[in-house]
Amino acid sequence: MSKSQKDFKLSEEGLAFVKKELTRYETKRSAILPCVYRVQKENGGWVSPEAVSYLSKIMDIPTAYINEVLSFYTMYNKSPVGKLHIQVCCNLSCAMNGGRELAEHLCESFNVKEGEVSANDEVTISRVECLGACDIAPMAQVNDKYIGPLKKETVVEEMKTLLEEK
Amino acid sequence: MEKKLLSEHYHKKEYHTLAGYKSFGGYKDLESAFSKRPEEIVQMVKDSGLRGRGGAGFPTGVKWGFLPDNSEPRYLLCNADEGEPGTFKDRLIMEKAPHQLIEGMLISAWGIQSHKSYIYIRGEYQNCIHVMEEAIKEAYSAGYLGKNICGSDFQHDMDIYIGAGAYICGEETGMISSLEGKKGQPKLKPPFPAVKGYLEKPTIVNNVETLAAVVPIIRDGVEAFRSIGTEKSPGTKFFSVSGCVKKPGNYEVPLGYPLMDLIELAGGLREGRKLKAVIPGGTSAPVLTAEECEKADMDFESLSDLGSMLGSGAVIVMDDSCSMVDMLSVIENFYHHESCGQCTPCREGTGWLSKVINNILKGQGRIQDLNLIQGISENMMGRTICALSDAAALPAISFVTKFREEFETHIRETLAQRKSGALSA
Amino acid sequence: MSKKIIKCEINNQEVEVPEGTSIIEAFKELDQSIAHYCWHPGLSVAGVCRLCMVDIEGIPKLQIACNTEVKEGMKISNQSEKVKEAVKWGLEFHLINHPLDCPICDQAGECELQEQYMNFGQYSPNMAERKVKKRKVVDLGSKIVLDTERCILCSRCVRFTDEVSKTHELGIFNRGDRSEIGIFKDKPLENEYAVNTVDICPVGALTSKDFRFRQRVWYLKTADSICTGCSTGCNIKIDYNEEGLFRVQPRYNKEVNGYWMCDKGREVYRLPNKEGRLLEAKAPSSYSFKREDSLRPSRAGGNPVSSVEVLKKIRELFVKKEKAPQSALVLTAQYTVEEYEDLVSFFIKHLGTQQDIYYWRNNPESFDDFDGVLLRGDKNPNTKGLLEVLTNQGAIHSWESLQNRLKQKEIEVLWVAGPENQKVYPDLKEKIDTFESYCDNIIWWTAHPLSDSQKIWQIPTKTFFEKEGTLINHTGRAQKVKAVHQLVSSALSLSESATVLKGEELKKQEPPFLVTPMKTNHFTYKKKVL
Repeated sequence: MSKSQKDFKLSEEGLAFVKKELTRYETKRSAILPCVYRVQKENGGWVSPEAVSYLSKIMDIPTAYINEVLSFYTMYNKSPVGKLHIQVCCNLSCAMNGGRELAEHLCESFNVKEGEVSANDEVTISRVECLGACDIAPMAQVNDKYIGPLKKETVVEEMKTLLEEK
Repeated sequence: MEKKLLSEHYHKKEYHTLAGYKSFGGYKDLESAFSKRPEEIVQMVKDSGLRGRGGAGFPTGVKWGFLPDNSEPRYLLCNADEGEPGTFKDRLIMEKAPHQLIEGMLISAWGIQSHKSYIYIRGEYQNCIHVMEEAIKEAYSAGYLGKNICGSDFQHDMDIYIGAGAYICGEETGMISSLEGKKGQPKLKPPFPAVKGYLEKPTIVNNVETLAAVVPIIRDGVEAFRSIGTEKSPGTKFFSVSGCVKKPGNYEVPLGYPLMDLIELAGGLREGRKLKAVIPGGTSAPVLTAEECEKADMDFESLSDLGSMLGSGAVIVMDDSCSMVDMLSVIENFYHHESCGQCTPCREGTGWLSKVINNILKGQGRIQDLNLIQGISENMMGRTICALSDAAALPAISFVTKFREEFETHIRETLAQRKSGALSA
Repeated sequence: MSKKIIKCEINNQEVEVPEGTSIIEAFKELDQSIAHYCWHPGLSVAGVCRLCMVDIEGIPKLQIACNTEVKEGMKISNQSEKVKEAVKWGLEFHLINHPLDCPICDQAGECELQEQYMNFGQYSPNMAERKVKKRKVVDLGSKIVLDTERCILCSRCVRFTDEVSKTHELGIFNRGDRSEIGIFKDKPLENEYAVNTVDICPVGALTSKDFRFRQRVWYLKTADSICTGCSTGCNIKIDYNEEGLFRVQPRYNKEVNGYWMCDKGREVYRLPNKEGRLLEAKAPSSYSFKREDSLRPSRAGGNPVSSVEVLKKIRELFVKKEKAPQSALVLTAQYTVEEYEDLVSFFIKHLGTQQDIYYWRNNPESFDDFDGVLLRGDKNPNTKGLLEVLTNQGAIHSWESLQNRLKQKEIEVLWVAGPENQKVYPDLKEKIDTFESYCDNIIWWTAHPLSDSQKIWQIPTKTFFEKEGTLINHTGRAQKVKAVHQLVSSALSLSESATVLKGEELKKQEPPFLVTPMKTNHFTYKKKVL
């Protein structure tokens, strides 16, 4: 079950976005995916059950429909994530090239368990399936960006630099 | 030798912009397409023998022909949810040549008389999304999208829909469900999307590479296209070569290109390593042994003769450092993770397979588990709405039959280690 | 426009069906057995359980019967080894993560997993791995409990809330073998039709809070009946035994209720049960009876005595007179047509005129409501029937004239056939008060006691479960209820009361045969492993 939070509301721009998406496609329901993204963006990277209720109200779409979508797709986070969400690919080509060891190494270095948030909300490290970038294996998606090929020797430094930029 | 039917100008810096694309003859073929009747376009694509580049290899023109006469509206849906492990060619096309895709889509839309299209891009491809959005904007302002395209009566609108992380959305009806704002669960067939697709309206779903390939067919003509590749697999294809090679990347070669040559093109194996196996068409394709690789040509027929398939063209090369038990466990964990969960054999079978294989990997396997893997796999195949179940079963069967010795040795050795206390249970 | 009829062969048996029929429907038409979980005739086709596999001549791959249309000349079989093997594995896939907690599962005995496994199972499980853990005893609202481990994700319940009740509370969350049926926290499964999901759940995932753990289903017998909850008249099955009634479920009737019924209607099983029933007749406290054997300890005032004795006394007091006292008859629409006919004709012959018969209409504000599915505002099973009898008899029914006559003290004796289901008569108390204040002699037929009414003669009536008769629903459709089992021995139908009041002897009734022969368990010993 996902974690909960007190209250959630979209910004003015967020509301305008939802309104636009509701009429952008041939069916209102198509707006669910982009609107859940929007909520995630405005809620610091994750979607709480409270946000689902809120979205259901402003979109006039049953909560069950929204929660089905939220729970089905992996890019929606059901619990909080760190400022840097490091998603290490561990599928075949990355696995052959050390992706899994890299994920483990990152967890140890940042002293955090897979999928959890490290101290000071800094990083979340998760293993993910093929990101379609096997040419730069082993690779990771760090927030929106693809980075690779990663090297065990330099990856932690690289991530710390990115964290500082945040 | 590479044959750059699509990627000739991909290395040019500004090719992804409208101006850059036009400076190399971009959108000329769209204009020439408008001088042809829509039926002629469909006939050309049929005659070209173009086969779907997404995985199934279904003849594109034939698929278009399934649209019911005079049906309205018709949707064109571009499958850019590239998710088959090992595949990264559509990302290349979208990033390097977004206008090529738009032009291919527009020619196709004119052919099938569709006035609305969506490009469904996997959500992880943030860069592609950005590039495509820009390109569509440019195309609208240049009059290539919207009303009266190129001065014709034809109207077409194009939009992007962003996925949210689900392999199954690459299956055409899963993609349609997702576009409808639902879980990406594939739909029962019949009816097929060409008859009842997006919102139950006739819909054609084609892969990025397929739609881009329509451009050279119109440009060079059917004969020229057919002169490349093999009789039944004409044209060129992007192969995403990755794994244990020196220069992983996308390589556009004529279909029928020898697999060993392709590996050489990708820099060959690393020093001192021996080829062990290759998955020639994404993880769903049955694995080829090193011996089989010697005989393999990269086209639909040759690979199917070898009991595998061309799939999405993702060539994953494994050398002698790879444990086949480990590799299969990665593959089966993936399908377990990605099964949408509606059909029982797939929902339960993918989980079961991954558990059995992980147990073997951890040293808790039994020899009879290899038969169990076979049994589970055989009974997952052909029993579900979509092909994910088959995609999980095929590698399992091919791995345990072709590398049975390695699996048995692993089971025996880990059992011995466990008995001697070297491996904790 | 009638559809073209096509011929096909199922397991070597020829069958004719209209074009567009699915193979599974053709199997049902022939009453041939075919394994299936997700298909339900009242819902859209999901095609996900993959059990209804059939072999079609000329098609190499097995097909699912639910999503394949029958074509002319098709030869279909589900008896081939290929199909049997596929179904065996199909069941194995269903069971590998199932908790197999049948001993504590309320669905045991009516579980499709059990039934299908008996028929098609492989009896030598292969699963040695750890099962997926999921949530148990999930509260879905006031009516239903969910066990997600038992759930086989057939999606029937989800399709029900999407397609029938259109309330969309349920969804399947997550994916793969982590998929779970569920509600979203702020929207419990509380719609008026929610319990249908329990009926259509093929396993013990959804169970009814009202019914669960009260009886093992193999200790229950089933009788057909008609729901008396409103004027729709849904066809129902009643599960009961010697202790009483335990639940009501819908019975398919294409014309009336399809496969469904509302949750309010399910409450009617309580009406005949002994708890809360008026067990014996009651005379006003001012009366006492000489005969020793009819004196029983009094509960809530009045002297409880046998119904027939009381009716005889009433006849003596108010019927068998030289000049009958001025009487009026009030009828509610909760009795059968036959009862109205008998009581009304008795009344006209012996007590009063057509002008003195009145129709008591409850909740007039919401009487004509309809929710668009099944539920109607007219909470009586036989309004049409009552009005038909009254019209035939030329009886008028202006409530105002009764009130006037009562106020003028023109009514000496008031006869009331009160509601069987008092809950749907919010004006009950008010009516009793009015009647009592303007009339000294009130005879009231009722299945349940009227509390605190010292002045009223109360005659216990038979409920819909205890008598035979006709109910006419809102469309004018006449439907029969049957006498299944008499739970209150002193209860009389209105017809029987009329007989006694006329001074005739009541035919001694044989109690209905209660114990149906036990079902033979044809599975026992059939398989060696059992």
